[in-house]
Amino acid sequence: MNGNSMHWVNRLAAFGLVVGLVAGLAAAGSAQSVGGQAYATYVNTPLGYSGQSPVAVLPAVSGTDGAMADAEGSALNVAGALSSDFLNSITSGEIGTAETGAQSTASAASVNILNGLITADEVVANVVSSASQGGAFSNADGSTFTNLAIAGVGSLAGDQPVAPNTNISLPGVGYVVLNEQIPSGDGVSSSGLTVNMIHVYLQSVIGGVCTPLGCLPGTVTKTGEIIVGSASSTVAM
Amino acid sequence: MMREHRSLIVWPSLIAAGLLAAACTDQPKVNMAPNNPSYWLVPPPAQCPTGKWTGGGRIDPPSNPDTPDEAVHPEYFAVVLPSMTGKFTFGFNVFLGQDADGNCIVNKGEIEVNGHAQKIAWHVSIHNGVDAYDGRPVHATVFSDAHPGGFCLVVGIPDDYMTARENGKGSTEPFELAQFEVCDNDRGQPQKGKPGPDAMRWRSEHHGDTHLVYLTGGNVVEHGS
Repeated sequence: MNGNSMHWVNRLAAFGLVVGLVAGLAAAGSAQSVGGQAYATYVNTPLGYSGQSPVAVLPAVSGTDGAMADAEGSALNVAGALSSDFLNSITSGEIGTAETGAQSTASAASVNILNGLITADEVVANVVSSASQGGAFSNADGSTFTNLAIAGVGSLAGDQPVAPNTNISLPGVGYVVLNEQIPSGDGVSSSGLTVNMIHVYLQSVIGGVCTPLGCLPGTVTKTGEIIVGSASSTVAM
Repeated sequence: MMREHRSLIVWPSLIAAGLLAAACTDQPKVNMAPNNPSYWLVPPPAQCPTGKWTGGGRIDPPSNPDTPDEAVHPEYFAVVLPSMTGKFTFGFNVFLGQDADGNCIVNKGEIEVNGHAQKIAWHVSIHNGVDAYDGRPVHATVFSDAHPGGFCLVVGIPDDYMTARENGKGSTEPFELAQFEVCDNDRGQPQKGKPGPDAMRWRSEHHGDTHLVYLTGGNVVEHGS
């Protein structure tokens, strides 16, 4: 073998070394991440307070690993605000070479909000976020209400979904958002979704004055909130 | 002479780089062997590629049955149980391995299944290769199913099963034998179907069998070794 051919062999070998290292580092150094959280109930009202419960938070996931967390609660009662039972929260997430994702589910049964203003036999929040070469997405498939009833508004028989972000006024109380969906991410390399199946916003009017010439409106202020069935998932790659 | 010396350094480096790249690529090591014959009267020998499986979501049996995949190993579920119906939500994380005899076992895992009509929350916890509730190893198997490229995982194989804790108003005993099956039928692809194509099955000694049912929502992912 003469000097010239050896020279080319060495150049080829050096090129191969660089390509190999770059490929190896690219595979090892990708910063994928997943996140998830779920809780069945949250009450923050003048009537009483109960933090997110039972809450499941996805532990940190790295490499091509996976994790799961769950929490259970037998019953919850915040007098006058919310009662419920069979409370469950689950979240899981995984990082893989072909697909990365997280999924969370939260549920509550025998739901009674504000002394019967809103009732449901069961509420299930279910979200998934996933990312692969084809892009990133999230959805809330599997999120439903069972026998939902809102006093003075109506009811749904059986197990049914409700259109995302359905806003219903609750005169004298505030309003409720059913299947409240809060998306995040760019849909290409990241995606996330939080679903709150029942989110009651308590409001009151402060101020406001009426004179013979007319009334000046008061200021609407938020005085509390109640959430039943909250599930979140996020993915980024 | 100098060039020969450099080539002695470069070639091992190239080989090392190649090995590093291959090691970091993390290819799933699933067994591509054809399905076992369907005439077996006892469970087929477990196939056990090292693997990590994670997922969660919801099924609504008897709606959306994954009949083609359940038929792949109908004899595998030797005990006939009554059907369970209604909403089931679940989440899991299972890492497989092999014991000294080459049997497929779960090295670590957590499985939570909530039967909403039954008001039962089942939980399985496996650490260091043994079931936290009975102290025994939990055996598993992975096999290709009726979906092209799809694979199923069974945790708690017949004659050994696994022990699940029961909580909730509908609980009838603190612990019982159980079996868990999931199928990743869209491996490497995000599940956008409604329902499926991924599927889940839960069998409980005292409460019944959901049968293999497509997910109403959620995902099942086999994500490498």
